[in-house]
Amino acid sequence: MAFPLPRGITPPEIAFLAEMEMVTIIPRQRLEGLELLGGPVEPLRPPRRASLPLWLALLLKRQRRANILPPPWLHPEPLSFILDVETQHPDYKSAFSPPPLLPGQSHPNARGQTPAARPRYTPDGQRYFAAPPFLPQNTAQTDASEVEPPSLPYHWLEVGNMLLDAASDDLVEPDQIRILLKDLREARNAKLRAGIDALDAASTGGGGVALTGVGAMELGEGRGFMVGVVDNLRKIGASKEQARREQMAEEMANRGYDNTQDDDDDMEF
Amino acid sequence: MDIDDILASVDRHDDSPASAALDHQLLTRFWVAERAVSEVLPWPTLLMERMMERVSQQISRIEDLASSSSPTTNLHLSILQTDLARTQYLIRSLLRQRLSKLTKHSMYYLLKIAGANPVDSQPSQHHHNQQQPQDSVPDFPAGILGSNTSPLSNQEASFLHAHQKLLAGHFGASFLSGFPAQLRRLDDNAGGTSMVTGPDGREAVFVRCLADEVVVRVPPGDGIDVEEIGVSMRKGEVWAVRWEGVREAWEGGELELL
Repeated sequence: MAFPLPRGITPPEIAFLAEMEMVTIIPRQRLEGLELLGGPVEPLRPPRRASLPLWLALLLKRQRRANILPPPWLHPEPLSFILDVETQHPDYKSAFSPPPLLPGQSHPNARGQTPAARPRYTPDGQRYFAAPPFLPQNTAQTDASEVEPPSLPYHWLEVGNMLLDAASDDLVEPDQIRILLKDLREARNAKLRAGIDALDAASTGGGGVALTGVGAMELGEGRGFMVGVVDNLRKIGASKEQARREQMAEEMANRGYDNTQDDDDDMEF
Repeated sequence: MDIDDILASVDRHDDSPASAALDHQLLTRFWVAERAVSEVLPWPTLLMERMMERVSQQISRIEDLASSSSPTTNLHLSILQTDLARTQYLIRSLLRQRLSKLTKHSMYYLLKIAGANPVDSQPSQHHHNQQQPQDSVPDFPAGILGSNTSPLSNQEASFLHAHQKLLAGHFGASFLSGFPAQLRRLDDNAGGTSMVTGPDGREAVFVRCLADEVVVRVPPGDGIDVEEIGVSMRKGEVWAVRWEGVREAWEGGELELL
């Protein structure tokens, strides 16, 4: 047995990924810049703020060499705002609250042009779009011109829990935050469970189910069950799908190549 | 393509710390993808060469630092070693996942790197009585190594070949030798059922769309010989879809697996 773990990353591996998120710290002692395999680390000069990966920030925090500035969303006010959106807002009765925008992604309600994201290239010449955990979604904001409403980043549950464990003295009202995180988790879990019905759409060819706004750990916890449901539904419906496609092939042969569209299973969840 | 694209493409062959960060992100993303799908993904030769080079450089730097031990280097050393251990964990987990997929569908991948279509291939029928299970293992295709068609690295290909030879020999010695000669092949497809199973491309995966728009495709099959278009995903959205419907977009870097 070369590898005992199931397909899809497991919760410990998700926590490992979440430790790559960048956070802002206030160092208490000097440290010269380091060249790590995960990228360069800027030199630490108290009391200048610095951005470090979470694992390194936690390592310094445990040795009392730095304080962690909590991410902008990990405060009681933004969290209760998001909780209100999750539970009260009519648009998000069965969907998750919107996640932070990716660079270059235009806001759904925005008018006018958003600046296009500068494409980066991999050394092999492919286009590269950064995504969590490699976006500064958990660093403290420097500019006060923050117009976007607060939103939960992809690794919210893991980052929140790790900071509550290791750096609760750096957070504002940690007990309140703990309660809000628990409420959010329950509200969102209920949505995920209620959405199981819609999974049928992902089991047909060309179909899919939107889970936009889902958190990494929520996906990791539900992955085994959801993939199992989708794959079993697909196997049950396999002969039906084949019959439908064969009928479609016949129709196409009869009236030439009309563009046949698969019935859209664009179901919000 | 605008001026930024051109500038970015000119200075992309550097060995700066920024490219170390980018390679780290690519490796992490590839690891998540490899863990998420049922088939072995194409081996990123250049990326892995750069990563292995960096790991060995980092190890020698840590050794240098450890030999000149002074109280101030202790923190440095522990940070560097943690970082090294994290990267090594990524690489090890990636390789073990690939080995487990390879051994699970070994005949499928052997036929694939030999250039045959694994599922429909007709086994070459040798009707002599000395037929052995080992005969069904394709010859090691020396010319194909390093080409782009194989999703395996050279080491993986030679491992797989040796593994399957041993396995076939063991099957032959333990029970297949008691069978009639024409039933001894491991890629037998008598009766219309191929004994070679491959990974299931229709399994559901979770993806995040990174390009402005990506459509889910239905590959040709079941009598339809054109590709159908399914739902379309927009930038930043997370979807549960069939892997075969988004494989092409993944190869183009337009979405990532979660």
